[in-house]
Amino acid sequence: MIILFVVLPLIVAGLLPLVGKVSRRVLPDLLANATLLFLLVYAAVAGRALIAGGPVLQQAAWLGEAVNLRLALDGFSLLMLVAVSLVGLAASLFSIDYMEHYGAKANYYALYLVMVAGMNGLVLATDLFSVYVFLEVAAVASYALVAYGLGSDELEAAFKYLMLSVVASAFLLAAIAVVFGMTGSLEFAAVAAALKELNAGAVIGIASACFLLGFGLKAALVPFHAWLPDAHPSAPAPISAVLSGLLIKVSGVYAMTRIFLNVFGLTPALSTVLMVLGAVSMVVAAFLALGQKDMKRMLAYSSISQVGLVVLGIGIGTPLGIAGGLFHLFNHALAKGLLFLTSGSVQQATGTRDLDAMGGLAKRMPVTAATSLIGSLSIAGVPPLNGFWSKLIIIVALVQAGHPVFAVVAVLASVLTLWYYLLIQRKAFFGKLDEKWAAVKEAPFWMTVATVLLALLCVGIGILFASTVTTWIQPAADVLADGVHAVTGSWGF
Amino acid sequence: MVLQTALLIGLVIFSVLAILLKDLLKSAISLAAASLLLGIIFFRMNAPYAGVFEISVVAGLITVLFILTIALTGAGHDVRESKIVNWVFPLVFVAFIVIDALVMKSLLGKVPALPSGTEAGAFGDVLWKGRTLDLVGQIAIILAGVFAGLALFRKRDKHD
Repeated sequence: MIILFVVLPLIVAGLLPLVGKVSRRVLPDLLANATLLFLLVYAAVAGRALIAGGPVLQQAAWLGEAVNLRLALDGFSLLMLVAVSLVGLAASLFSIDYMEHYGAKANYYALYLVMVAGMNGLVLATDLFSVYVFLEVAAVASYALVAYGLGSDELEAAFKYLMLSVVASAFLLAAIAVVFGMTGSLEFAAVAAALKELNAGAVIGIASACFLLGFGLKAALVPFHAWLPDAHPSAPAPISAVLSGLLIKVSGVYAMTRIFLNVFGLTPALSTVLMVLGAVSMVVAAFLALGQKDMKRMLAYSSISQVGLVVLGIGIGTPLGIAGGLFHLFNHALAKGLLFLTSGSVQQATGTRDLDAMGGLAKRMPVTAATSLIGSLSIAGVPPLNGFWSKLIIIVALVQAGHPVFAVVAVLASVLTLWYYLLIQRKAFFGKLDEKWAAVKEAPFWMTVATVLLALLCVGIGILFASTVTTWIQPAADVLADGVHAVTGSWGF
Repeated sequence: MVLQTALLIGLVIFSVLAILLKDLLKSAISLAAASLLLGIIFFRMNAPYAGVFEISVVAGLITVLFILTIALTGAGHDVRESKIVNWVFPLVFVAFIVIDALVMKSLLGKVPALPSGTEAGAFGDVLWKGRTLDLVGQIAIILAGVFAGLALFRKRDKHD
C-alpha cells in the first residue's frame, strides 16, 4: 500500500480544518504528528522488506475498477521517503510550541501535510507529468507556508519565490513537451526505452537544458539561486527547516537525478555540466554565506552551497560518487533541518536573527547551543559526525574518478563552511552574555525534543555510518548507478 | 496553414495584452479571448475534449469569476508598479521569440513526427481510465489552493 504515503497525509489534511473547529490546538497537534510518525515507521520498518525483491510497482484500483494510478518504490525513492518523514516529523514536533503564536494551527498543519504529500507523490511517481503535478502540489503549499506570518517581508519573499518557481515550471513543461514530442509517452520506462532507439542528440540536448534550468531553479543552484536566501529565512522556522532540508532536494535534486540518470542516461557532457554547476554553487554560496549578518540567511546560503556538493557528488556518475552524493543529501537534510530549528528557538527567545546582536546565549540556552553546535560541525564535516563521512566519500570518489581539481575545490569549500559555522557559533552562543539577554530561557519542551532528536541522529549516523550506508544509501545509489536499465528493466507494468 | 498561423499569432497577441493592460477588466477579457483561440486550435488539432474544456472552463467559467470579482471589489486601488516592467517585459518577450524561432528552425525535421490520431476511447475512459497518478496530484493542488486561501486571508486571533 505505498499509495498511503500520498493519500494518508491528504486525507488527514482534508479533515484538519474540521477538527480545528472542535479543538484548536491539541487535536491538530496530535493528528498531524501521529500521521508523520506513522509514515516514518512505515517507511523505515516496512520499506526495506517491501523492496527486498526489487522495486515495488503498484497499480491502484478504485471500487474494484483498475485505474491507471501507478506508483513505484525502489531504493532511491525509499531513501527520500525516509528523509521526508524523518525531517518532516521533527519539524512538525517543533511546530507544536513554535506555531502557537501564529494562530490557525489546524490550517497550518493541513498545508504542511499537503506539502509532505506532494513530496511523497513526486518521489513515487512513474511518469513525467505526475512529477510535474506533485512538484506543483508541494510548491503551492510552500508559497502559503512561507507567507504564513503575513508580515510584509514574508509576503514579499513568498511572491518572489512564487514568480521564480513559475519560471522553473515553464521550463519543466517545455522540456516535458519536447520529450513527449520525441517519444509519444511520458512514462519513465517507455521514454527511456524510446530514447535508446532514437538518434536525436540535439533534441535531447534541448530537453536536458530545459530540465536543467527548471530543476536548477528548484534546487537553487548558482546562478539560479536568487529566490532562496529571501524565501527560506522569511518562513516560520519549521518551514525553513523543511524547505532547506527537504523541498529543494526532493523537487530539485531528486527529480533531476531521477530523470537525468534513470531516464535520459548520464552522458559525459551532462556529467561535466552537473559537476561544474555543483562546484560553482558550492564555492560561490560559501563566500556569500561568510558575509551574512542574519543567522537564517547564512544558513540559507549554506544550503545552496551544500546542495552544490550533493550535485557535484552525483554528477561524477561513478557508484561511489553517487553514494557519497546521496549520503550527503540525507545528512544535510538532518543537519540543516536541525540548524534551522535551533535558529527558530533562538529567534523566538531573543526576537532577533541578527548575529551581531547576540552573544553568550549558550549560558541561557544550553541544549539549543549544544544541538546547534552538533549541526554546524556535522555540515562542516568534522569527524566523527555524519557530514564528515559523506564529504569524505565524495572527495575520495572525485580523486578516484580522476578529478583532483574538483576534490581540492571541495576540500577548500569545506574549510570555508567550517569558518562561517564557527562564526555563527561564536557570535550567537559563545562569548560574554549581553545584559539584555539575561531573561532569555531555554526553548519549550517540544522544540527541544525536535532538535535533540535530530542532533542524536547526526551523532548516531556518524558513529554507525557503515551500517547506514549499506542499509539505506547503497540500495539508493545502486538504482542510480544502474542508469537507464533500472527503469527499462524492471519498471514495466 | 494560414488560418492556423493567424490563430497562433492571435493567441500570442491576446496573451501579451492580458499581461500588459493596466485595466483589470480588459486584461481578463484578453485572457478569455486568448483561451478561446487556444480552444479552437485544440479542435483543429483533433483534440475535441481538450478544446471543450478550454473553452467552457477557462474562457467561460474562469472569466465569469474574474469579472465578478473585479465588479465586486471595485476600482480605485491603483497599485504603483515599477517602471522597469514596462521595458523589461517586451525586451524579454522579443528575445524569447527570437530564440524560440532559431531553436525551432533547427529542430524542425529532427523531431520524429508522431501519428496524429483523434483522442482515443470514450469520454469516460479518457477522463478516468487513461489517467495516472496526476489525478491524486490534482486533488492535492486544489486542497493546497483552498488551504492557502484560508491561511493567507485568515483573521488573526485576538491574542496573537
